[in-house]
Amino acid sequence: MKQLLKTFKVAFKSINKNRTRSLLTALGIIIGVAAVIMTISAGEGATQEVQNQISGLGTNLLMITTKKEHRAGIDVRMGRRIEKKDFDILQKNSIWMSKLSPFIASGVRAIGPQGNKSTTIYGVSSDYFEILSREIVSGDVFTEEDVNSARKYCVIGETIKEELFAGTDPVGHQIRINKVPFTIIGLLKEEGKGTMGQDQDDMLIAPYTTILNRLYGHRSGYNMIMASALSENHIVDAKIEATELLRESHRIKEGEDDDFEIMTQIELQEITGNVTGILTLILGAIASISLIVGGIGIMNIMLVSVTERTREIGTRLAIGARESDILTQFLIEAIVLSLAGGVLGILLGIIGNQIIYKATDFYIPTDVNSILIGFGFSVLVGVVFGYFPARKAARLNPIDALRYE
Amino acid sequence: MPKKKVIETKKLGRVFINGDIEVHALSEINISIEEGEFVAIMGSSGSGKSTLLHILGCLDQPSSGEYYLDGVFVNTLNKNELADIRNQKIGFIFQSYNLLARTTALENVELPLVYDRTGRFSNSKELAKKALEQVGLGNRTHHKTNELSGGQQQRVAIARALVNNPALILSDEATGNLDSRTSIDIADLFVTLNNEGKTILMITHEPEIAQFAKRIIYLRDGHVLTDELIHNRSTKESALKDLELIT
Ligand SMILES: Nc1ncnc2c1ncn2[C@@H]1O[C@H](COP(=O)(O)OP(=O)(O)OP(=O)(O)O)[C@@H](O)[C@H]1O
Ligand SMILES: [Mg+2]
Repeated sequence: MKQLLKTFKVAFKSINKNRTRSLLTALGIIIGVAAVIMTISAGEGATQEVQNQISGLGTNLLMITTKKEHRAGIDVRMGRRIEKKDFDILQKNSIWMSKLSPFIASGVRAIGPQGNKSTTIYGVSSDYFEILSREIVSGDVFTEEDVNSARKYCVIGETIKEELFAGTDPVGHQIRINKVPFTIIGLLKEEGKGTMGQDQDDMLIAPYTTILNRLYGHRSGYNMIMASALSENHIVDAKIEATELLRESHRIKEGEDDDFEIMTQIELQEITGNVTGILTLILGAIASISLIVGGIGIMNIMLVSVTERTREIGTRLAIGARESDILTQFLIEAIVLSLAGGVLGILLGIIGNQIIYKATDFYIPTDVNSILIGFGFSVLVGVVFGYFPARKAARLNPIDALRYE
Repeated sequence: MPKKKVIETKKLGRVFINGDIEVHALSEINISIEEGEFVAIMGSSGSGKSTLLHILGCLDQPSSGEYYLDGVFVNTLNKNELADIRNQKIGFIFQSYNLLARTTALENVELPLVYDRTGRFSNSKELAKKALEQVGLGNRTHHKTNELSGGQQQRVAIARALVNNPALILSDEATGNLDSRTSIDIADLFVTLNNEGKTILMITHEPEIAQFAKRIIYLRDGHVLTDELIHNRSTKESALKDLELIT
């Protein structure tokens, strides 16, 4: 034990005597650990952001879609279309779902006084605004009456306003959507960029009836039905209820699979959590490679150092160092270097996260796990890649080592 | 009272095998050195001097014969025991000093004590300082290796060989890299240390340096050719006078 302490001192002196080389040795680890911390933190940050946005949708949300299967990279519709009949049944019989809205999305060209742009129009009922808690800053949303009469009213997002009605209040103005004139009755509150970078204000919202009848003649299918459960505690009840109602309506026999899917907000969160989790893992793994490269750097320089210090090792052996003393000395040197590299890397990673936050506004919470991983990894790298050079040093023949030129 | 034997070898042999070729570097070496002796080993290049010194210094082991160092039967010791015995009983001095670079004289001299496992030395700094004073470098303790002359560096190495109070000091051409005058100083330092009771065995090529010892052993082809006491030993004064006559 006392000998180990002395060997520690020897190793520290040796590191201190070759500061430049020591720093260069540790550099690989510094960068590797910083990379691991920054990527894992960025992954975590993205995950949190996605989760926040999904919770922003409203915790009571249910989405009812047709059954899809993933084949060769594309979603293939397996079940029946979700259509008016389904919506009517749910609306008439549901106890646990307080609000319901069909949802139709369609790419369109909108023409305003200052130009035209391609955008997306969503056809929904008046409940939609409450289900997703989207607010209006000017004007109003359309009413149930507007929906029933299929009025050519629409609510527009901030981006549409900026591009087609810059500097004016668009409410009350006309906008032509695929050549059909609509009256703008409201302006949506700005939402900003979505998780995947999509513009959440580049949209129009109109009564679904208007879209089906005036824009498409007679299209009948919906993309989905959105609903909100009475409360957070009734999401499961709502899901079971909707499942039963739709199975009955679709005449699905007992034992047969559903031909539709109902996704709750919580499930959505879980799925995206899995996806972003995998993403984080992949990023972390890539960053770990840089740590391994750093480790090889340590090994490389340690090997050079062993050769360079052959005479020193010979001298130490001649004056009574045991092989184990030399082995521990070089191992400690490697571990201390990679550990110091790890600590510096952690600092660099935290600073890097701050810089990214300052520069891009993308908040990256420095993940505690990433610090632990980075730290543990750097010690491991030190042991693994330090052992081989250390063993080489310890096994030198003292007579040859003393003569080494 | 008969003096203690520091070294005793019986029919010591060392054979190097390189592929098919056997080199008999040493054979049938019978040497006995008592406490307080000062022995010079001479012989032409390749005669086996260094090989003998490595075995006596427990850096190498004989192929045949027996070796007792300070009463310890060395043949049967394992690697760790050999390391420990080097640490406790031997002080090495090399031709090329072998000091640690960018390290102070004091730290260099302390080095053997780092590997001491007996715990018999309490204050290594103090001991290192004393050893440096013994070799006349009491005022250079905090100079780094590269700030010292060759002769001074060799003195640091000698202090390092002294610091663990070894039973035997072994020197392999300690003056090989030094000029004549500095060589005489080092030889004189050996005499002083010997007078203080140290047992010294030194290899040298230079007859005028060997002449400082009390006894000379000549090796030839791995055998002891002659083993005689010196009657008219050199002193620093006589050696310097001889040096002036030549130049
Ligand atoms: N590791 C080895 N492998 C093979 N042969 C060796 C080895 N070491 C020494 N020898 C041989 O042993 C013989 C004695 O070598 P040694 O180094 O002891 O000579 P020396 O008297 O010290 O010579 P010098 O005065 O040149 O230093 C030489 O023939 C040398 O070639
Ligand atoms: Mg030699």
